Amino acid sequence: MSTRTNQTVNQTARFAVFSQDQKQRIFEGMIETLRNTGVQLHHAQARELLKTHGALVDGERVRIPQNLIRDALATVPPVTIVQSWDGTRKTRIEKNQVLFGPGPTPPHFTDPYTLERRKYLRKDAALVARTCQALPNIGFVQSLGTISDVTVSLADVYEFAEMIQNTTKPILSWSYTRDTCRDIHQIAIAMAGGEEAFKRCPNYVFYGEPISPLVSDFHAMDKCMYNAEHGIPQVYTPCCIGGATVPATHAGQLVCAFSESMLGVVVSQLINPGTCVIMGGVQSIMDMQHSVYAYGSPELSLMSAGLTEMAQYAGLPMFSTAGCTDTKTLDPQGAIEAATSVHSAMLSGANFIHDVGYFESGMTGSVLQLVMADEQIGMSHVVARGVEVNPETLAVEEICATGPGGNFNGSAHTRKYEALHWQPSLMDRQSYEDWQKQGKKTMRDRIIAKTQDIIENFEGPLSKVPEAAKKKIAEILEAAEKREAKKVKKE
Amino acid sequence: MLEKTMLIKMNQQAHGTTMFQVLSEDQIEQIYYAALDVLEISGGRVFHDEALQLLLSSDAVVTDKNRVRIPASLVTQALRHSPGKASLTGRNGKRSVNLQKNEVAFGSGADAPVVLDRKTGQRRKSKYADVAAAARMVDYLPRLDFCMPSGLISDAPNAKTSDRHQFVAMVTNCTKPLVVSNIDVGGLKDQWEMACLITGGEKEFRLSPLFATYVKSESPLEYRADVVDKLLFAAEKGIPALYVPWSGLGATAPASIAGMLVQTLADNLLAAVLCYLKKPGMPLIAGGIQTVMDPDRRTFFYGSPELHLTSAATTEIFKWLGILNSSAGGCTDSKVVDEQAASESVMSIYNSYMAGSNLIHHIGCLESGQNGSLASLVMCDEIIAMVKQIGNGIEVTDETLALDILQEVGPAGEFLTHQHTYDHFKNWFRPTVIDRSDYEIWEQNGSKNYNDRLEPMVDKILETHRPDPLDENIVQEIKKIVSLADQKEV
Repeated sequence: MSTRTNQTVNQTARFAVFSQDQKQRIFEGMIETLRNTGVQLHHAQARELLKTHGALVDGERVRIPQNLIRDALATVPPVTIVQSWDGTRKTRIEKNQVLFGPGPTPPHFTDPYTLERRKYLRKDAALVARTCQALPNIGFVQSLGTISDVTVSLADVYEFAEMIQNTTKPILSWSYTRDTCRDIHQIAIAMAGGEEAFKRCPNYVFYGEPISPLVSDFHAMDKCMYNAEHGIPQVYTPCCIGGATVPATHAGQLVCAFSESMLGVVVSQLINPGTCVIMGGVQSIMDMQHSVYAYGSPELSLMSAGLTEMAQYAGLPMFSTAGCTDTKTLDPQGAIEAATSVHSAMLSGANFIHDVGYFESGMTGSVLQLVMADEQIGMSHVVARGVEVNPETLAVEEICATGPGGNFNGSAHTRKYEALHWQPSLMDRQSYEDWQKQGKKTMRDRIIAKTQDIIENFEGPLSKVPEAAKKKIAEILEAAEKREAKKVKKE
Repeated sequence: MLEKTMLIKMNQQAHGTTMFQVLSEDQIEQIYYAALDVLEISGGRVFHDEALQLLLSSDAVVTDKNRVRIPASLVTQALRHSPGKASLTGRNGKRSVNLQKNEVAFGSGADAPVVLDRKTGQRRKSKYADVAAAARMVDYLPRLDFCMPSGLISDAPNAKTSDRHQFVAMVTNCTKPLVVSNIDVGGLKDQWEMACLITGGEKEFRLSPLFATYVKSESPLEYRADVVDKLLFAAEKGIPALYVPWSGLGATAPASIAGMLVQTLADNLLAAVLCYLKKPGMPLIAGGIQTVMDPDRRTFFYGSPELHLTSAATTEIFKWLGILNSSAGGCTDSKVVDEQAASESVMSIYNSYMAGSNLIHHIGCLESGQNGSLASLVMCDEIIAMVKQIGNGIEVTDETLALDILQEVGPAGEFLTHQHTYDHFKNWFRPTVIDRSDYEIWEQNGSKNYNDRLEPMVDKILETHRPDPLDENIVQEIKKIVSLADQKEV
């Protein structure tokens, strides 16, 4: 039997926005921008740190020489593992390892029963976490809202406390200040079963945000430093608005976004070389007709894929965006915009693809949109994983044995490979007559039904949370309340 | 401004577009060799006397009356004679569909038996006026490049000649190039004669075809007489023909994706050999609709991700072989224009476009091909624009990198009022049905969802768009051919 040699195989589909030369130019653009234009950094201690290592500091403006950037990139770890508090789930943060999840902090929430837009409540954080836990194609958790019915300055801590008990998927948390950043860290330690256990393997990722163009405010940098000090994997990424906070040309926007993240990379690596730091962000354009940041634009898909390639070029993990929409209600627009960005982000190979479930340009969170996108991610995955080509899948024997016009039903080969065909959970494939008999339900009806079914019947991991951890979390929340009350008195 | 002297960045290679690839070249080769094996070992069945005679006088081996096995050498000969380039010219004289590697055109389709009556809201049989309305829609929609009949014509005077009426409905209502479908070779011949009246003659049609013809086969590697009739006539007259074998994973094809690709390729290669033996040089547009199917109802699913994957993969295989190709897109199993129709349309358009399929047809099909929808055509027009925007890639130049602008504006600045923004924001995608207003304005405008905005847009196009009329003399000549056929076939 003859044998095959010199074979290159696409184990997945391949997708690329940039050539090597184009990536190099954008990389050089970032180096030049940080060196010549620099950033505005509202954090004296961080400025001092950068100055000691050779940055040029002029008031709040910090210009960073390229050796600092190269050194920082050299120490960012190629692999980071996040382990769930119950030890059942390991998430790898490494090149081309893709996960989808919701986004943080919209002020509004679509009530999954009344379908009305309303304020986001504490119970919603648990609901979102549990829904994410139930959805097979959602890999990490963010809240889809800002809790409105607790002490305002502690919305971040309550959110984390609710979510981590209702999911074993990694949470990307956020916080207002270093104080609440510490509270969240303490809750995570309680869930991990102690500081040592957490240090061995963290159970969450922190999400922080510089401001475009080229500004890091005090709290963003302060939290970045806290997370670096404690070895907590962190995202340091801006929301860039093309034509408003950054140039209208995509290449310029990416240079700007890249530079803004890079400040977090440099500071985190100076503080703790080897700590995990993730670049990326939301990259889209300002809709000039409505003055709205367009979350459903094809430009978002394109720039997110482009920036992902830059992250891979620099050896950094990537926080990308997809599954979001400018629609105000569950409708085909949301489906079009989400499918487009989901598939682009999947093909790009970004690590944490967030904002799945955003309505209304990020102003409303919707689990309905999330449930729909879960199905789209499943479809995208079929294309993304490509075609397996080997003598068995090529099936020459099978085809020849069956002959022209043949029937492949029920053969051993068919039974084996049929099992790999995608099974829809929301897409309808009935005949018109059957569909009519069952009440002419549209996908919207099915999404609502599935979401409510998850809410009512899916059991999350809450019952497995150790009593000791629950008690500890209650103490942390109580202490935080006291601290914030004191702050209010002072003011 | 900084002074600039002789600035050139050398040895730069850029991606002019986004790049997408499912199969590696080695994987494509494996699939190709496997398809040649299938043609040599098991071959196909040809139910057509003239074709069998042609095969008998070639290097092919014919046994068991109609079982045909083809040596690889004959396949490669046929491929060498297949033009890697053709073009379609609309009746407006514009050579607007260039069939050449990595060039993509989108079109409606195909032959759906029912429509949604926009006046009564009833689902009913498709009529002449429906096909005409869809053609008018295609004429209007900027991202649709060719018109394929959206539906069948149930109200034709003669069921056997309704294909001629499909052609008339399209050609009188759409100035863009067409893809025709036909009941039999008689229909194709009449359509071609009518087209020759428009292009100015048989040779002129060969030089600048007004249409390509759609040749569908539902039984893999079996070549029914009516299918071969059409292929041979197209080969003789130089009519570009879309050969589209349909197959179901694990039903009429192996359940493994690679196996299905092998069978579809073998099927296309045998068709290419038949056309070559008739007359070398015919632009065969290879293709295949390869998806999962309901084995009991024998229904093909139009929205499966397996279809999206195989469409991209076969496109890559045909590109590698240097043959023109087509695939399906913008179609769905949903019964209405809902989130499912949107999702499945995006996925099929996205993958076929990124792969570089030449003709992406079946746009607007609902209900697994049973229903031709005008609303879906308008929706897909917008989806295509979005996908193209992603496919355009990102230009990286001094101007777009904008480093000097970034330095000028500086940290905490704004770009909204900068000339650079004004110069470039016009390149962004601008929505048509998609809404980006903020919540309050959206509420003031009646809280309309996507469908609420889509339907009036469809009505408006139907009311206002009038395509350039076809020359009245030609219309009269065409009608003569049609009525002759109607009478003859009774």
